[in-house]
Amino acid sequence: MLQQTLIDKYNELKEQLHPDAKKLVEKWRDVVKQYEGDEYEFKVRDKIIKQPLTFTSLSGTKVSKVYLPKFKDWGDILQWQLQENVPGEFPFTAGVFPLKREGEDPTRMFAGEGGPERTNRRFHYVSVGQPAKRLSTAFDSVTLYGEDPAHRPDIYGKVGNSGVSIATVDDAKKLYSGFDLCDPKTSVSMTINGPAPMLLAFFMNAAIDQMCEKYIIENNLQEEVNKIIEVKYNIENLPKYIGTDGIPIHHTNLPKTLSSTSKKETAENIQASQNPLSGGRGAGFLPEGNDGLGLRLLGLSGKDILPTDVYETIKAKALSSVRGTVQADILKEDQAQNTCIFSTEFALKLMGDVQEYFISNKVQNFYSVSISGYHIAEAGANPITQLAFTLSNGFTYVEYYLSRGMNIDDFAPNLSFFFSNGMDPEYSVIGRVARRIWAKAMKYKYKANDRSQKLKYHIQTSGRSLHAQEIDFNDIRTTLQALYAIYDNCNSLHTNAYDEAITTPTEESVRRAMAIQLIINRELGTAKNENPNQGSFLIEEMTELVEQAVLAEFERITERGGVLGAMERMYQRNKIQEESLYYETLKHTGEFPIVGVNTFLNKNGSPTILPAEVIRSTTEEKELQITMLNAFKERHKDKNATMLKQLQNVAIANGNLFEELMETVKHCSLGEITNALYSVGGQYRRNM
Amino acid sequence: MTEVTEKKVRLVTAAALFDGHDAAINIMRRILQSKGAEIIHLGHNRSVAEIVECAIEEDVQGIAITSYQGGHVEFFKYMKDLLNENGCGHIKIFGGGGGTILPSEIEELHNYGITRIYSPDDGRRMGLDGMIQDVIDKCRLPNPPQEGLKASPNENGKFALGEWKDVISIAKAITVAENGQYKKLISASVEPPFGVQGGFPSGGRGAVGDSGAVLGITGTGGAGKSSVTDEIVRRFLNNYTDKTIAVISVDPSKKKTGGALLGDRIRMNSISSPRAYMRSLATRESDKALSQYVTEALDICKVAGFDLIILESAGVGQSDASILEHCDVSMYVMTPEYGAPSQLEKINMLDYADVICLNKFDKAGALDALHDVRKQYKRNYELWDAKDEDLPVVGTIAAQFNDAGVNNLFDKLIDVINKKTNSSFGTHKPFEKSGGMDGSIIPPKRVRYLAEISETINEYNKWAKDQAAIATKLYQLDAVIKMMDDKK
Repeated sequence: MLQQTLIDKYNELKEQLHPDAKKLVEKWRDVVKQYEGDEYEFKVRDKIIKQPLTFTSLSGTKVSKVYLPKFKDWGDILQWQLQENVPGEFPFTAGVFPLKREGEDPTRMFAGEGGPERTNRRFHYVSVGQPAKRLSTAFDSVTLYGEDPAHRPDIYGKVGNSGVSIATVDDAKKLYSGFDLCDPKTSVSMTINGPAPMLLAFFMNAAIDQMCEKYIIENNLQEEVNKIIEVKYNIENLPKYIGTDGIPIHHTNLPKTLSSTSKKETAENIQASQNPLSGGRGAGFLPEGNDGLGLRLLGLSGKDILPTDVYETIKAKALSSVRGTVQADILKEDQAQNTCIFSTEFALKLMGDVQEYFISNKVQNFYSVSISGYHIAEAGANPITQLAFTLSNGFTYVEYYLSRGMNIDDFAPNLSFFFSNGMDPEYSVIGRVARRIWAKAMKYKYKANDRSQKLKYHIQTSGRSLHAQEIDFNDIRTTLQALYAIYDNCNSLHTNAYDEAITTPTEESVRRAMAIQLIINRELGTAKNENPNQGSFLIEEMTELVEQAVLAEFERITERGGVLGAMERMYQRNKIQEESLYYETLKHTGEFPIVGVNTFLNKNGSPTILPAEVIRSTTEEKELQITMLNAFKERHKDKNATMLKQLQNVAIANGNLFEELMETVKHCSLGEITNALYSVGGQYRRNM
Repeated sequence: MTEVTEKKVRLVTAAALFDGHDAAINIMRRILQSKGAEIIHLGHNRSVAEIVECAIEEDVQGIAITSYQGGHVEFFKYMKDLLNENGCGHIKIFGGGGGTILPSEIEELHNYGITRIYSPDDGRRMGLDGMIQDVIDKCRLPNPPQEGLKASPNENGKFALGEWKDVISIAKAITVAENGQYKKLISASVEPPFGVQGGFPSGGRGAVGDSGAVLGITGTGGAGKSSVTDEIVRRFLNNYTDKTIAVISVDPSKKKTGGALLGDRIRMNSISSPRAYMRSLATRESDKALSQYVTEALDICKVAGFDLIILESAGVGQSDASILEHCDVSMYVMTPEYGAPSQLEKINMLDYADVICLNKFDKAGALDALHDVRKQYKRNYELWDAKDEDLPVVGTIAAQFNDAGVNNLFDKLIDVINKKTNSSFGTHKPFEKSGGMDGSIIPPKRVRYLAEISETINEYNKWAKDQAAIATKLYQLDAVIKMMDDKK
């Protein structure tokens, strides 16, 4: 009798259990089994990937990459799967992929100084011996504000300082030369916002022309192509890459083969690129590792050289292959960083045009935006505000793109995120909370598919947490922040150099910063496991608290008319400033301890360290950039005005501006384009 | 105290070109204000030419700049050069950039004539307050004696900075007026203090429509007056390429400190034209929305021969209509967010304004607001039979580039100005076209998206919790049932 009552109650309750929930409880045993073996099988798009699941320590202990809870209660099992789950499963709290990519550390280092040649050398320096080339580009402030280098003193002094000067598509080709931009192992990130569409068009053209070069070499068309070039152009007038010895490298002196086409960096190739190239005029050195890819069509476009159908095929293939990120996050610029150049509305339209172009041209491995909390945090926001503002900006792009008629699953995979990791406890869960909020909203609010539900993000350790006193201690802070990031399964990571608080990092300090990541990834035993945070009472509690705090902020922003309405009242800006002031006050009073800054001072009182020297761009570099720009304008003077007018007409007709920019940049410089767009899109209006 | 120390300190503050770091300069300008200075804040990313033009037109004693992005040596030296070239070498330059400006560079800049670059060490030694006091003290030092107020045009007929008007003299004359010395000035001068023909108006203000019609723009705080003003200036300069315009903008002084934030210039993108002059005035001691020296400043602009003069008042309350004493044509700027329609009955300016601008027209309820304001206008003027579109009530979105509403507003204003004054601004070429958007960025009905997301997630979390509770009960029941089985 009693048993029957219980069975009835059981069946009644079973009816109340959602089929999905039921499945999760029933399948749990299979999940456990899946992680018991030595290998794990999963699918990425259409490929089945098998990866080892264990690592054996020197003591012979087998450490698994993923550990599961030992719960018995079905409620606990269900709750865990609904809110945590294994990496790679909704709501992706522990990570968006079942396992980390093999052979690719999430290392991404930021570089940019002087002209394109100097930064190209730095890129090759930091990526020597790394199988995956992950470049991150810092532009000088002239470029960041969409202008051209010039002799006018208030511009001149900034050319090539704290970032690389890029004014034309040729500069971009030099900047990334020797990196195969269409190789899946190359990924390029560009920190640019206001003029992002123009720089992105530079990059895309550089990638397409690289692929044209490869086509020319693979089909032994060099001779033929050189002839066409000689007929159409004066080779002497074409721009040149200035070698490491200061000698310009002539077109005909570039290596005959490419390391990428011969699949391996052969000894000859490497040697070839280290030695002066075949002697004679224009025989400068390429930096170590640069095989000259990207330099053969310097000054021209593959479009001018190859038959149209061949070019179009190559273009389509290049566009669907390039991998990387352009920051292009205009909302956080208005809220925190101030590199807006166009009216906010026009800037958003440009972003939408880029996204639309990405969809119609199947640019599927490139992020059209990096929705950034980093600058919000650097401006002083606490981690909760950073996360809430960043996610709310992300959802604003979603709503805008939807309102333009784009399909959620067509654009969501092109969105990426970028956070700062400081020392606060909330930073231990910033990735977890971001992933989980995004996934839940995408699945249930926007009915998006599995791929769209996966939030991927880059972490940079906090620049603001570095101090100009006892700068040696900075590496310790960076190490702990990097550990937070790696334990939290970030998809990409930049570690700051210890001297960044006082100067532009040197090669030595950058190497140390990279070592921080490598030591964690390759030496630290617990980092071999990929879900070390799961099952921690602290982490679980923090995750819930931060999730709730973010949702509460969403409500506050809604009360102010959504993100754009709140921006009009300068809500975000004021909140960031208040939080900054709070931190500064506590730091000043010593209530917030910072070792070597307001406590544990050395016997000299831990004075502020002044840089012995500051890396600045040289006069030669500045002059070279201006000369190159003037030569570019001279070469394109016939087409320049027509192309700019055409661009303005597309704007007036409300057409896709990025599609047109892909052509405009072949003949116009950054500054010319920016100024042409001002008169059809409006300049940014500052606020106070 | 001597007269020199009592003179108001006016400063331009900004962050350098291509430099978005505005946190420090914002803190500095607040302290400057609290010490009684009048600050014309330009915000971030300002070129030397823009800053120097502002400094000259506003007749300030000093410029304070932060520069964190490098290139500071060239930047500050160029600023000094440009001031010298334009006969304004007396304007002092102050700067700072934390550790980015090296001690050797500071020395180099001081030797070049930059008044003071503050280093982090200065900050520690003097404290923030001490540094700011130093800036004020240095600005109060008397300037070397200067030539008369009149400048001669160059061979192209242009003045300092290539301006069409003698902006240096105009600026100084307004300062004289602000310091209560205007009457002395006009009685002492034989010639008007500007490189233009014409004489001083006899006493008070000149007759309506003398030369240079005055358009008064007023409205509630936060309605977007400066954006509307900027958009009108831009259209005026684009459409009448041989005409000049002056903008006199008034912001309140703080009663407690005597300082003022003159914040309209930061919003103006179109003012740095050689045909445009802008001057920001603080109300000083008066409690009004307008400075008591406004009449004199307008007179000076009229004598200088500007074709159109815009007077922009500080944000006003519903009852304030003081602008009417100063202008030929008046415009009231408001937003759809005024509350209940009965509030409209309290707005004095709705009885007097020649044109009413309903800005932020993309806000919810805009159409209702337009309807209500028109109704109120009809009531006030007893225009019961007027057609809606003929009424001078225009919806605008000044934040939107080349907004059609602002185009409409501009035409209505020019129309009224031509009718009410001697001005005859002709028909103009069609407005510039722009690559606008089809609608608002976020459709009004989607504006609650973040709250919806929050609701969705909370619902999911609750559902997960409830489902887990059921699963726990099932687990417990299952265990009990199995135990009973075992007993059998």
